[in-house]
Amino acid sequence: MLEIIKAGLETSVQDFPGRWGHWEQGFPPSGPFDMWSFRLANVLVGNAPEAAGLECQFVGPKIRFSRDTTIALTGATMSATLDGKPMPQWESVAVAAGQELTTGFATKGARSYLAFAGGIDVPAVLGSRATFHMAGVGGFEGHALKDGQQVPLNKGQGAPGRRVRDECQPAIASDGCWTIDVVRGPNDDWIDDEGHQMFLESEWTLQSRSNRTGYRLTGPEWTFAERATSKGPEHGEHPSNILDHGYPVGSVNLCGQTPIILVSDAPSAGGFINPYTVPSAAFWKLAQSKPNDTYRFREVSVDEAQALRREIDGLCSETSLN
Amino acid sequence: MIYDEPRFLPGGDRYIEMELGDELNFDLNFLVHSLTAKIREAGIGGVLELLPNMASIVMAYDPDRISYDDLTREIMTLYDAMGSLENIELLSPVYTLPVLYFDHRTRECWEDYCATITEKPYDPDLMVELNNLDGREQLARIHSGTEYWVAALGFYPGLASLISLDPRCRMTAPKYNPPRTWTPKGTVGYGGSVTCVYPDRTPGGYQIIGHTPVPVCDLEQRLPAFADRLALLRPGDRVRFQPIEREEYDYIERRVEEGTYVHTMTAYSKFSIREYHAWLETLDMNAQF
Repeated sequence: MLEIIKAGLETSVQDFPGRWGHWEQGFPPSGPFDMWSFRLANVLVGNAPEAAGLECQFVGPKIRFSRDTTIALTGATMSATLDGKPMPQWESVAVAAGQELTTGFATKGARSYLAFAGGIDVPAVLGSRATFHMAGVGGFEGHALKDGQQVPLNKGQGAPGRRVRDECQPAIASDGCWTIDVVRGPNDDWIDDEGHQMFLESEWTLQSRSNRTGYRLTGPEWTFAERATSKGPEHGEHPSNILDHGYPVGSVNLCGQTPIILVSDAPSAGGFINPYTVPSAAFWKLAQSKPNDTYRFREVSVDEAQALRREIDGLCSETSLN
Repeated sequence: MIYDEPRFLPGGDRYIEMELGDELNFDLNFLVHSLTAKIREAGIGGVLELLPNMASIVMAYDPDRISYDDLTREIMTLYDAMGSLENIELLSPVYTLPVLYFDHRTRECWEDYCATITEKPYDPDLMVELNNLDGREQLARIHSGTEYWVAALGFYPGLASLISLDPRCRMTAPKYNPPRTWTPKGTVGYGGSVTCVYPDRTPGGYQIIGHTPVPVCDLEQRLPAFADRLALLRPGDRVRFQPIEREEYDYIERRVEEGTYVHTMTAYSKFSIREYHAWLETLDMNAQF
């Protein structure tokens, strides 16, 4: 059992790859935002990659353990301590019953991941333990953790002292400037050449009104192609409006003049265009960025995006450990 | 317009948007759901999600199991093999949802909006005026006088976009500006020419004209209709609204609370677009509801 002394800002149970197969009825995939760090936390404690763990956002939790286990903390740096002594990240650590783990503010990155040998024991909802807290689905009672809760753990054996080699960890930008891969489409034909050039050559700032649903960006004005301005009334009034359609997770959804990158808990459909899509291999960068960080986008092909994904998948294994 | 050749558009490393046309059109939406059913039936390895909407399907796929090109090729083979739209029949259960029109809950919500956000006319009266109706009674007769087609689900879990199958029952309604900060769970709304039931207490923008005591989303899966699902409706299903009085409303609400309410639905119903087109031809478009 984990006793949640302090829950942190928004700490939630997640699993990999999240909730798939129910999107048609409006349930998004959810799951860990930075799947690279999450999977490596599980690898460290000897879990299968799909075992449920915790995603800690910006301010991490304080937890007392009610039995011996093995844990690992990956992702953002959160100056963790175990009974007051500094605890290493990216390394499996043995904890004894009664010990207290304290995590603080994320200093480098924004989200860290806590895995426990055996994983968190909550019931699967629609095939997943991931939390979709907007609708109260999955995780621990449907929502982010609260102070005083008791979260059950599965039995599991892990070995302490296993470490992820530096070169196998995501390189979290310490200066807050990120290059984010994007694939053109699906609705790139609604933007004119000037608009595409503007998007790819400009610097974009991440707004503070950003969360696991969407990342809102501030930047220059978009310009539109003819399709966006001469269209049937069912498409809506604004050039960025389109007849309701499905939204790929990762799509750069243009609401008026505000691009919103739709992420893990995003709505499945709506009436705005998606001129670009951030591929899954770049999600960890979104997950680890903070409000006021800046993005520049780099266009990649579908093939390149798939190759990047395979590269990361390959790193999420025992071969990345010392 | 239904395109002669559907368009395939990439969405990153694991999504494809397939555009079958470019307008709000029942035949096009029926085509979308027929193709979605064919793709599902075919069980193409590596297809993870199918998200049909008004005129397009977004698919999620696993690029380690199927390539972009192979997937679009397989979809086109299924599309070409569908033959004439007229010959397609789809399984399409009809759900009957009881509605108390002009109820206390949506009235309270409208009053709260007027008091805390901005004054606006009572939603049913606004719809009566904009659609040149005789009064609220006619609004309820028109709204409950047709079956609705579940054209799409999305935006929020269990939220279905319903379009009327009887063209004589198609009304229009503007959206709230600014939107409401809350809407009672079970509210029946109307926006553009689409009606919906709010699956949960959420913000909203549709005009609100009634309330159903019957859940369309049940995360705890308490009622029998939710044994294999959290959300009642799927694209291609149909909905009929049954006007009820307050006494019946209170009775149904108690049954829902007890966990004994049984949804009225027909799992066996099929929808034939040939028969639908033939029926449309017989309609007296001047008939009054």
